[in-house]
Amino acid sequence: MTGSDPFEAFVRKYQDMVFGTAARLLGNPMEAEDVAQVVFLRAFQRFPALAASPTAGGWLKTVTRNECLNHLTRYRARWRLFSEMTSARDESDSESDQSFEATLAAPDSSALDAEQQDQRVRLEAALQRLPDHQRVPLVLFHMEDMSYQSIADTLGVSLGKVKTDIHRGRETLRRQLKDDDASR
Amino acid sequence: MHPVELQGRIDRELKSLPALRAPGTLLPRVLAAVRHWADRPWYARAWFTWPMWWRVASAVALLAVLAGVGVALPVVQDSVAARAAAVHLPVSVSASVDVAAAARRVVVIASTLRTLWVAIAGPFVAYAFLLLVLMGLLCAACAAALNRVAFGRTAHS
Repeated sequence: MTGSDPFEAFVRKYQDMVFGTAARLLGNPMEAEDVAQVVFLRAFQRFPALAASPTAGGWLKTVTRNECLNHLTRYRARWRLFSEMTSARDESDSESDQSFEATLAAPDSSALDAEQQDQRVRLEAALQRLPDHQRVPLVLFHMEDMSYQSIADTLGVSLGKVKTDIHRGRETLRRQLKDDDASR
Repeated sequence: MHPVELQGRIDRELKSLPALRAPGTLLPRVLAAVRHWADRPWYARAWFTWPMWWRVASAVALLAVLAGVGVALPVVQDSVAARAAAVHLPVSVSASVDVAAAARRVVVIASTLRTLWVAIAGPFVAYAFLLLVLMGLLCAACAAALNRVAFGRTAHS
């Protein structure tokens, strides 16, 4: 394969960013891995131009975001409707939580105590459990720094709907954090 | 909690989440997929990824075919018309009588059909057409609704 070594280095450099973006948007590490593979395959197809581009990271981020939204729109909704797999997903939540924990970066030595680390894992799991229509705009707003309007444009829904869904998502996460605080 | 405070707190909490690490299986998967893609023959890929000379050759061939069709079509039409005009069929007396009878039958059938159309079918054509259009619109609305509910924006709405 021509240029496999530079491309391998390219994948190593960006794989955490691509996978992390996809995992947070999709809330599912398995699907995030599938999407990441598609994204890097597209990157390979235009690698000669992309390798030297200073905006390669931004390009990858945008493609990842679009692929995730396509994935949610085209595949997951259809799959859920005809297979009624929602209950199966709920059953596999604990398994997904564990695989999500495995993807978390190691805490930098003494900076994080165990309690704080545990709270973050639970927050990550709560984020993952949010329904798609709340998690996706929430992640786009807080972690991708997109505005309400651009989120509404991207998702093809009204501005009010975006604000409502994000607020409900925040409330759910707040309850999770409150439970964590109370349990201390 | 006030919405602005809530936004600030959730923003801090989410931004403080550690970066997710890609699983160790991702890199081998990507490289295998890339290798599989790269091993495809060039003609099985998108046209713009073909070797330059093949792209040029295919474009030239396409233009040649289009030009050939453009030049040859009038010639073929003229040739067919000339051959059709040159054919003389021997017509006997009995055959001409049969042809005349058949022509009369055709005229009778055509006038009967025309009468039936004007008397029976004609008044309903407009309504049938309207019904057809309404059914088409209804089908399109059902398809759009199904697409929205089943395949469309349900994930985001």
